[in-house]
Amino acid sequence: MNFYPIFLREMIIFKRRLLRLGYLFSSMITPLLYLLTFGLGLGRGLSVEGVPYLMFVVPGICAMSSMTNSYTWIATSISVGRLHFKTFDEYLVSPATARDIMLGEVLSGVVRGLFASSLILVAGSIFGAGFPQSPIFLLVWVLNCLIFACLGVVFGFLAKSHEDTATFSNFFIIPMAFFCGTFFPIDKLPAFIKTFLYFLPLTHACKALRTSFLGQEVKIVSLGIMLLFFALCFYLGVVTIRRSNR
Amino acid sequence: MIKTKGLTKYFEKIKAVDDLNLEINEGEIFGLLGPNGAGKTTTVRMFNTLTLPTSGTAEINGLDVVKEATKVKWLIGVSPQEMNLDQELTAYENLRLHGLLYKMKEIEQRIDELLSWSGLAERRDSLLKTFSGGMRRRLLVARSIMHRPKVLFLDEPTVGLDPQARRQIWDIIRDLNRQGVTILLTTHYIEEAELLCHRVGILSHGKLIALGTPEELKARVGHFVVESIDDGTTNYRLFDSRKEAYNFAQQRTDDVLIRESNLEDVFIKLTGGRIEK
Repeated sequence: MNFYPIFLREMIIFKRRLLRLGYLFSSMITPLLYLLTFGLGLGRGLSVEGVPYLMFVVPGICAMSSMTNSYTWIATSISVGRLHFKTFDEYLVSPATARDIMLGEVLSGVVRGLFASSLILVAGSIFGAGFPQSPIFLLVWVLNCLIFACLGVVFGFLAKSHEDTATFSNFFIIPMAFFCGTFFPIDKLPAFIKTFLYFLPLTHACKALRTSFLGQEVKIVSLGIMLLFFALCFYLGVVTIRRSNR
Repeated sequence: MIKTKGLTKYFEKIKAVDDLNLEINEGEIFGLLGPNGAGKTTTVRMFNTLTLPTSGTAEINGLDVVKEATKVKWLIGVSPQEMNLDQELTAYENLRLHGLLYKMKEIEQRIDELLSWSGLAERRDSLLKTFSGGMRRRLLVARSIMHRPKVLFLDEPTVGLDPQARRQIWDIIRDLNRQGVTILLTTHYIEEAELLCHRVGILSHGKLIALGTPEELKARVGHFVVESIDDGTTNYRLFDSRKEAYNFAQQRTDDVLIRESNLEDVFIKLTGGRIEK
């Protein structure tokens, strides 16, 4: 096991970016806009599934922001490192294994996902949505970051150009961000769409984050499906790295 | 130290390396020459375990680069054509991460050693972005030898450098070789191969078309060259002896130049230039 140098590299760069204040604000701005327009603007006085809309939407935006941040950072860092700067060859030529590389990158994606979405939770609690208490919330939160960091590695490796990672994001990540129950309950959608959404990881992340956020019981099946997704995506990532010499 | 048998690589339908049979000895500086697109980089990438051969085998120190890739990785140092140092990290950080990847002990000590060896001690904590081309190349070579590899691969180590920086790299290469490192370098600067390499191989369209010491190759095409200008294009004629060259020159009424041949003449002759013999 030698994932530390790969993780460390991403963390050094993350820290350097954080020290530039512009970066910090720009990464906060989109989710904050959602929180303001949907949570406080559109949703004022509204209640959904028996709770004030703000409390409904904060865990949803948290799921969304942890997803996009885990995915985007890693996918971009890897595709640019592979295609443009060729820095990734340094890992591939070293004795670090595919599993080391995968683990190092994924963990750094988790840190970035957790960091960005924790800002949402803080903002939410300032606006009066409350703060999550349950340890299950933390578990689901981390699991969500893990899944999408793994996908970030997979697509960072499959990308033939830098635009490819954005294409995948437009067709997969962004639709999920809106339709998986982040902003509205999916129960009211037609049955066939609901069935389709049931097979997407973010649907379960939203559901589980929301129920644990509100102090309700989390369905084991949601946790199970997320774990399954994580295992599958991690495996896919390792295989993709291993096959990169073809 | 390096041995290939029928090494071949296709990219889709394009043959990049064609049935390469080559043996490079321990302690040698071996130069792989060829025009752009001849298959030099692909060959090196196969030795580096970064590209999988389509067929044939390559061994480094008796280890198969496909089946025993991880063991091979411990033995080799790689300095690729693209200077793939991390631009957003400092010189120190680049070296430290390399040391960690190779699970080295005494990383700090080795970093100090390498930074002063490559003349970059003062730039230890500067971001790579601020380095000149020559400094980057020196750090790249320093990084590739940090874990004390037995075999070093230098892909176009002096491309884009000014004459001064190029000579610094040459000194570095000779110094490493004196320490017992086997070196394979690719280049399309022919005087570089002539100055540094014990033996050279010339690749053209993925095939090895010549192999030997620079002296042997020159003897093969002729030791003397007569340059003359016919209809605005320069012709190079190769002769085995000074006398033959002189006799030819005497028949000419215009200005001609007689000189000793160099690897460049060999290269142009063998890769299909206009040299007549």
